[in-house]
Order: sequence, then structure tokens, then C-alpha cells
Amino acid sequence: MDSDPEHIASPPGPGGSVVYFDGRSSRRRPVTLAFSDQLELHELQMAVVHWPYDDIRRADGPAGTLRLTCLTAPALARLEVRDAALATELTARCSRLDENAPGRGAAAIVAWSLAAAVSIITVILFGVPLAADRLTPLVPQSFERRLGDVADGQVRIMFGNKVCNDAAGQAAFTKLVKALRDAAGLDPSVQTAVLATPIPNAFALPGGKVYLFNGLLARAQDPDEIAGVLAHELGHLRHRDVTRNLIYNGGTSFLIGLLFGDVTGSGAMVFASRTLVTVSYSREAEQGADDFSIEVMRKLGRPTKPMGELLFRVTGKQGDKGLSFLAGHPLTEDRLRHMTEASRPASGPPLLTADEWQSLKTICKMAGAGKI
Amino acid sequence: MPIPPPLPRKLVCFSGDRAQFSRLVRRGTLLELVTVGFYRFWLATDIRRHMWSNTAIDSDAAEYTGRGKELLIGFLFALAILVPIYLAYFLIGLEVERFKAFASFPLFLFFYLFGQFAIYRARRYRLTRTVWRGVRFWMDGSGWAYAGRAALWGLMMIPTLGLILPSREAALERYKMQHCHYGDLQGGFAGTGKEFFKRGWWLWLLVVALIFGIAMFPVIAVRFQGYPETKLAPVLLLAGFVSMPFIYGAFKAVEWRWWISGIRFGEVRFEASLARRALIGLYWKVIGWFVLIAVSFGGYLFGSASVIARISHLPVAQLFTPGNQHANIPMLLLAGFGYLAFILVMNVVLRVYLLRDLWERLANSTTVHRIEAIDSVSARGDLASALGEGFADGLDIVGF
Repeated sequence: MDSDPEHIASPPGPGGSVVYFDGRSSRRRPVTLAFSDQLELHELQMAVVHWPYDDIRRADGPAGTLRLTCLTAPALARLEVRDAALATELTARCSRLDENAPGRGAAAIVAWSLAAAVSIITVILFGVPLAADRLTPLVPQSFERRLGDVADGQVRIMFGNKVCNDAAGQAAFTKLVKALRDAAGLDPSVQTAVLATPIPNAFALPGGKVYLFNGLLARAQDPDEIAGVLAHELGHLRHRDVTRNLIYNGGTSFLIGLLFGDVTGSGAMVFASRTLVTVSYSREAEQGADDFSIEVMRKLGRPTKPMGELLFRVTGKQGDKGLSFLAGHPLTEDRLRHMTEASRPASGPPLLTADEWQSLKTICKMAGAGKI
Repeated sequence: MPIPPPLPRKLVCFSGDRAQFSRLVRRGTLLELVTVGFYRFWLATDIRRHMWSNTAIDSDAAEYTGRGKELLIGFLFALAILVPIYLAYFLIGLEVERFKAFASFPLFLFFYLFGQFAIYRARRYRLTRTVWRGVRFWMDGSGWAYAGRAALWGLMMIPTLGLILPSREAALERYKMQHCHYGDLQGGFAGTGKEFFKRGWWLWLLVVALIFGIAMFPVIAVRFQGYPETKLAPVLLLAGFVSMPFIYGAFKAVEWRWWISGIRFGEVRFEASLARRALIGLYWKVIGWFVLIAVSFGGYLFGSASVIARISHLPVAQLFTPGNQHANIPMLLLAGFGYLAFILVMNVVLRVYLLRDLWERLANSTTVHRIEAIDSVSARGDLASALGEGFADGLDIVGF
């Protein structure tokens, strides 16, 4: 067959089984093929087109149609062969037909993806915590204060904006905070307030704001209990935990989102894995704030056990509910144990007199009277 | 020489093999799992290659020339642009919130605009990868101009309770189709909002009545407390749920038919004869699969819990309590694995029914008029980058 240089391989005329599109116009050209040292496409109104066999590549086509393209022809020129026998004959001559065909190399994609996943996970586990630690000192205080102002506005809206300001209670609160602040070595820009909400909680906002909720005050039996909690929050301020957490959470969310991207569709998987990763991080921060609280209370010569007791009173034994390794705080019973072990008998003067403690307890009796 | 059977003499025809498609999707979905999602670019490409090359117009099949690598690169570029934007968004939001809590909400508008821009540019990418008879489709016009239009029409949707939807779709489609080209042949869109409204207003009325009915139900129930009418409550609610797939299926059929029938390229005119009921069965099949897969997922969770309980000699309830980390970490892992499998199987179902089968029904109900006007079109237009698709992926936006 190869010895025959002008072997006419397909019937001529319209209705033929070979159609050529030249890639310059959408005209359908029924062609005849000739197999010489190159593939020749013949049509009456067109100069003979030559396609070298080694330049011919397969293009996507429907079942039953062999669709070909040629590297040296216009990019969109296509030859369509709908005759099975002719297609077989042609395929036999084109040795590089399926080179650079898409849909192959899945193994390479898998390998690269796994490498990318391993690198992202490594960054999440080691790089982001490191970056958060290094970047936090670089964040200016003015930016932190701005963050705090934003959070402050939202907190006040969420909790009804009821600041407790009974005069005697406020005096006692200020005295307590000042003692703690001095011991903690924080400057007087720290702002504190008691909010009239029944939720037993306290928290610190970036830029130096500490809120104590009346719900916690109501469950407290002793100034040392409240002092420990406030010292814990001052610890968060001192360590700039909110800023560090912001950087850390932002980084991990972004990277985990990048990793799971589209597969889950809903982001539930992203949320779940993010919880697993970030929770242990915030648990470390809580541990650090507890240690800070212990240090401050010791400086003041006050016991640390009461704080643990207050927390235990509020939450009860936590080991019985929920998934422990999903808790952002260490388990209360563990904290109580830690605080009890670290506790020293009182060696300094009480932080508040009995009268002052009574005033502090009733600081919210005129709750909702106004804003600061 | 044997003469092959001629391709069916239908002007538009989808002849893809369903088993082959389903195999392709199952394999791709598995690879998506193994590659933590990165395979999505290649799977999307393979799906399009299958759909395009099995769709024939006037007995010549189309071809999709896009490649997965292009989508990956587009995604990476989009990421490089989106990350600083996200950061700037965060900082601006911070500044605005400082003046008034929760005031940063209007910034969402910016991301809405960005999403519409992505939709436009993504269509442009797909179109420039679409080849038929050796000539490619292409698209000009501005993604931002389109996004502005989409946002303005979107704002008007709210006060009109969606009644303006037909006009919105007509206007946006006109913009998109007027900037579509096949070689030197310009596209156009002849569908009008009025026509769409005429075909679908009763569906809108049904949805509004349904939402109103469900919203008002507590009020009605209180008023009729103790009367036998309240026993109708679950029946009514069930009727509402059951009617949703019918309403949605009919709406989609009306919308597709209207859309296809509006497409023009020069003198070439498309027409669809899709019946209103044509797609409802597909949605019910998907719901059926969903229930089946959800039940199996539940069974799997129960099964793995009892297996772990047996191995660790603990009562099942203790698997979910802390302290037994040797028991509940495996449970969490198994549940996570099951959840992933659930999502992935559902993805296969969605792609087979709502992509392939839907496409098949649309294509096979479509005819083309004056196809001879397209016989000698000169090639024009350049390839567009996959950046738009990257944005759509990065912003989690679907649309075309």
C-alpha cells in the first residue's frame, strides 16, 4: 500500500464520509483522502492540503467519528472521518496521534495535589502559629484599639448596652481593678465596666477593654473569685491574645478553605476541621492567661483557688458533656485542680472590705440607667 | 467500502452515552476526593469535553478545547488578586464599623458586583473554548458593565418581590448575547420579559401564595385553635413541600424554553419545544437519591458507632462523651469520612441528572431555523483567559 503514492482512499463528492474544516471559515468541505508520504486532502475548489502524519493529533469527537487536527495547520482546522475502515487505516499511519491528549496524567495531578495538601497542612500546624506569634508584636496598638472599638460597638448591641454604674459599686470595682492592674504591670489606659446581663461571663477586647457580666458577679461569693477572673482577662490583654487569635484564625480559615475549596460545597468540612485545629490553639492561650492570673494573685498575696471554684460553680463538671477536645477552654475541673495546686494561703490584705464587696455585688441595682 | 449510517437528521441532537458519562463523573469524583479537591479543574474540563463533543448541530458535533491546567492557572491568578481584596475588605470594614456597628453591610454589594463580573468572564472563557465547524465562538463587552446592570436589576428585585425577574433576565441576556459572536456572526437575544412573564406568572403567584401561607400559618392556627381546621396544618405543610419540586421543575422548563427560543446568531434562530413537565421527573429522581443516600449515611453512622462500641467495650452513649478519646476520635474520623462520601455521591447524582440528563432533554427539544445562514462564516476572535472562572471558583459562585 505504501508503494502506491497516490492511493485514493475515500469516495469523492458530497455525502462522502470525510469532511474538512479549514479553520478559517465554517464551510463544510467534503474531501477525498490520499495517502502519500503525507496525508493529502483533495477538493475541487481548494488547493491540495498536506498534513504530515507525525503532526496529526486526535481531537475530541462524538462516538463513531474520528476527528483530527494538525500541528502545522491552522489551530482550528479539523478533519472528520466517519468511516470506520478508513479511520483505522489513517490511524495506523499516524504514530503520534495520542500524544499530548488530555485526560491523561491523573497520577501526576494526584501526586502534586498531595504535595500541595501536605505543604498546606504543615503551614497550618507550624507556620501560622509562628507567624501569629511574630506578627502580633508588630501590630500597632492604635490598630488594636480600633479593633477593640469595633468589637465594643457590637458587644454593646448584643448585650443591651446596660452599663452598671451604682456609685459605691463603681468605686469598689475601680479599686479592685487598679490593684490588679498595678500588679499586672498594665498601664492605666485599660478600661473596665460591668454589664447588666445575666450571662455568667467576662471577656477582654483588644486595645484594653475588660467587661465583667453581672451574671458572674451574682454567682461569686468572695472578691478573690472575681479578682482571679479579672486577672485572667488582663492576662489576655497582656499577651495580646485577641490579635494573635485574629491572625491565627484568619490564616487557618483561609488555608483550610483553600484546601477543601469546592469538594464539600457547603463549608461544613471546612468549619469542622478549622474547629479541630484552632481550638487547641485557643486552649493554650487560656492556659497562658490562667498562669498570668496565678502570678498576679500571688503578687497580691491572695489565693488562686477561689477563681477555680467560681468557674466550677458556673459550669459544673464538664467531663460529662460534649467532646472534650473540642472545647476552647481547658476543662473546668482541670483548671480548678491547677488553681488549687498553685494556691497559697492569703498573705496580703483583702482586696476589698466586706462593705465594698457588698457594693460591688449590687453595682447593677440601677441597671440600664445609661451609657458611659 | 461500507457507507456508515448517517447521523440522525435532527438539527440539534445530544447523543452522549449515559454509562460513559456516569463512569467519567464517578472516576473524577473519586479523584477529587484523593486530590483534596484539586482535580475539580480537570473534572469540569472532562465533563465539558463530553457534553460538547456529543452535541451536534446540523449533524456536526461541537468541540471543547479548554484544558484543566488553564482553569488551575486561572484559579491561582484569581486567588492572587482576591487575597489582597479580602484583606482590604477586612480593613475597610473595620474602619466603617468603627463609626457605626454593623455598618459595613453595604460592602457586600462590592462582592456581589465582583461575582457578577466573574459570571460574565467565566462565560467568556467557556465560549472561546467552544468550536464548531472549525470556527470558535467568542465574546467582547465589559464584565464590569454587565456587573453594574446585574446589580441595578438585582436591587429592583427586592421591592417588586421578584416580579421583575423576567425583565431582569431578558435585559441581562440581551447584553450577554449581543456580545457573543460565532466567527464574524453576531449573536443576539430576542426573548422579552413580557413573554417570559406570560409563560410563568402563575408559578410566581403559586410561590408567593405558598410563602405567604406558611408565614401566616401560625396566625391562622392561633385563631382556629381547637377547631378541626388545625388538623390540616401538617397536611398543608406537606402539600407545600411536595409541590415545590413541581413548581421549580415547571419554572426551570419555562425559563430554559424561553431562553433557548430567544437565541439568535445573525439570521439563525433557535427554538425549543420543551414541555412544562419535562424536567419535573429529574428533580424527583434527585430527591429520591438524596433520601436514599441520606438513609444510608444514617445507617453507616449507626453501624460504625456500634462497631466502635463493641471493640472498645463501651456503651454507645459514651462514644460522644469526652475522656474516652481512644473511642471518640475514631468515631469523629469515621463520621467525617462518611460525610465526605455522602457529599461526593450526591455530587455524582447531581451531575448525572441535573447536568447530563437535563442537557439531553434541552438539546433534543431544540431545533434551528435558517441554519444555512451559518454555512460560510469567517473565523474571528481571540481566546480569553480562565481568570473569570478562577474568580467564580474563588468566590464560590455558580452561573453562566
